[in-house]
Amino acid sequence: MTENTLSTRNWIVGVIVVIALAVLPFVLSKLGRTGEYWIWVTTEMLINGLFALSLNLILGYGGMVSFGHAAFFGVGAYTVALLMKKAGISMVLALAAAPVAAALAAAVIGWFCVRLIGLYFAILTLAFSQLLYMIVFQWYTFTGGDDGIHGIPRPAFLDPVNYYLLCLVVFVVCFLMMRTIVNSSFGLTIRSIRENMERAKFIGVNVRRFQWYNFIIAGAFAGLAGGLLTELNKFAQTEFLHWSKSAEPILASLVGGMYSLAGPAIGAAVLMFLKIVLQQFHQTLVEIWAIVLGMVLLVVVLFAPDGMIGFFQRMRGKSDA
Amino acid sequence: MVGPCGSVPVGADRGLSLQPILHGQAVMTIQYYVFLLVNGLSLGMLLFIIASGLSLVFGVLRVINFAHGSLYMIGAYVACTLATFLSGGSFFHFLLLLLVVPPVIAILGFVLETTLFRRVYQQEHLLQLLLTYALVLILDDVVRVIWGGDPRSVVRPDILAGSVSVLGMALPSYNVFVLLLGPIIALGLWYLLYRTRAGNVIRAAVHYPDTLGALGVNVSWVMTATFMLGCWLAGLGGVLVAALANVDLGIGMERIIECFAVVVIGGLGSVGGALLGSLIIGVGISFFQLPFGRWALVFPYLVMALVLIIRPWGLFGKPER
Repeated sequence: MTENTLSTRNWIVGVIVVIALAVLPFVLSKLGRTGEYWIWVTTEMLINGLFALSLNLILGYGGMVSFGHAAFFGVGAYTVALLMKKAGISMVLALAAAPVAAALAAAVIGWFCVRLIGLYFAILTLAFSQLLYMIVFQWYTFTGGDDGIHGIPRPAFLDPVNYYLLCLVVFVVCFLMMRTIVNSSFGLTIRSIRENMERAKFIGVNVRRFQWYNFIIAGAFAGLAGGLLTELNKFAQTEFLHWSKSAEPILASLVGGMYSLAGPAIGAAVLMFLKIVLQQFHQTLVEIWAIVLGMVLLVVVLFAPDGMIGFFQRMRGKSDA
Repeated sequence: MVGPCGSVPVGADRGLSLQPILHGQAVMTIQYYVFLLVNGLSLGMLLFIIASGLSLVFGVLRVINFAHGSLYMIGAYVACTLATFLSGGSFFHFLLLLLVVPPVIAILGFVLETTLFRRVYQQEHLLQLLLTYALVLILDDVVRVIWGGDPRSVVRPDILAGSVSVLGMALPSYNVFVLLLGPIIALGLWYLLYRTRAGNVIRAAVHYPDTLGALGVNVSWVMTATFMLGCWLAGLGGVLVAALANVDLGIGMERIIECFAVVVIGGLGSVGGALLGSLIIGVGISFFQLPFGRWALVFPYLVMALVLIIRPWGLFGKPER
């Protein structure tokens, strides 16, 4: 199959999926209370999908393992919460500010982190996210500590269906932006750094700067996802910054395939679906959600690493999906 | 939405009880600084006991064990549970905890190493990181399921519950005990590593595992033994902290990041570096508590960021590992 027909096929599949997703809430809203619940669930799937996609820019395409991506998710979430609740700024402006604030945080944190590779990078991202978590936790007067910030207003015209559609539009726009990014010369440079940092250096690529920009872009998208989730739940809480929140997009990327563009979003949806199935099955199963996530991760690491690498090698030739 | 550790008040006021007991009025003299120094050193020694295990394991296995903090936390909880059976108070019972709990954690380490870690030594870094990360997710949640979210602690033995008088100051004797135990452990480790055949084998495994294997040493058992030793140290730290401060679900993550700071400062794999790093972090936190209160916990992150920028391989480490 040539690259052109593959690309055309991807476009057709993409358009069909988007149309199906756009029709979905109208079907669901006919189903009464269960339908409302599922609209809420699918909205959160879109948001988690965006979060997973943002991490994959650095994890899959950049080859940088970050254990602190929740930091930017949380910064976006708290930006929206604080601006809307305390400053009374409109939702659109607050949502626009979320990625900006997250990008700023990512710029500061990333400036330190990209100086390191591999193991040290992972440690430092984890440490910085814990630092932010602690600040939010301790700074009770500003962030509400572990009470979080509740009662974030929602404009009247945004009923669940409309909010779903808003998230869908944001998701699709972000997806196309990321697609453009990873297929641009910037994206190709990022991938060449992942493949062989030394060679990238030899041909004159400023590795650190590219990784830094990539880190900031990923942070911005994560911040937008955080902002959207805050508005969906009408609250922001410290859990958004917790280290276990950083695990979710990693897992989503692993499950969905981290060397493809749409994979992590699909992985996020699958994981969330799994969570809900467990919930329906037995309430206590959700209380051990972290154990379930850990087990899934263990199984992938122990029994599918060849599958992952094999997948990686297959994707290498056509990773412009 | 809500993270898997929803109900955990991580970072709540569990502050290590390192506030000095002052004689009479506030003595803002040199004595007060001696207090801070003693408390800082004892915290540093506690950190050293845990971090040296982390560092040792990294040195031989080349895997940074994110789950080290979880093992330490399990040690603390096991100590708490055993203490309730022993109806604490006597020094003998406390000694029993010190003798029993660390081997239990070492056995847990044996199981983890032989069933999980051993499978990924040949794999790429990313998979090793994700494996230990999965273990953190699982172990932390298992602890929450078994012991619940309530903080608990071990009653200090009578001998160590009071204070000892040094230079006209009453220093909490338990802190002095930890402060004295640290150097004993450090000496013991030094003796083990540099004066015994087992130590020679371990040090050889750090640098030339292949040659060691060719000489007829079963390297994989050396790795298992080293991992168990690391876990033994984590368990020892757990018992010690259980009588020092409240044990809750956040201590694993909080301590592992302090340990990262310690090993980053000292250099990964260097036990001597771990000693220096622990003392810097311990004393630093203790002194920063005076002007900054709870915000002193930010100190390790600052030092870690600083060291990672100036000398990423640590003070005692070697570049380009």
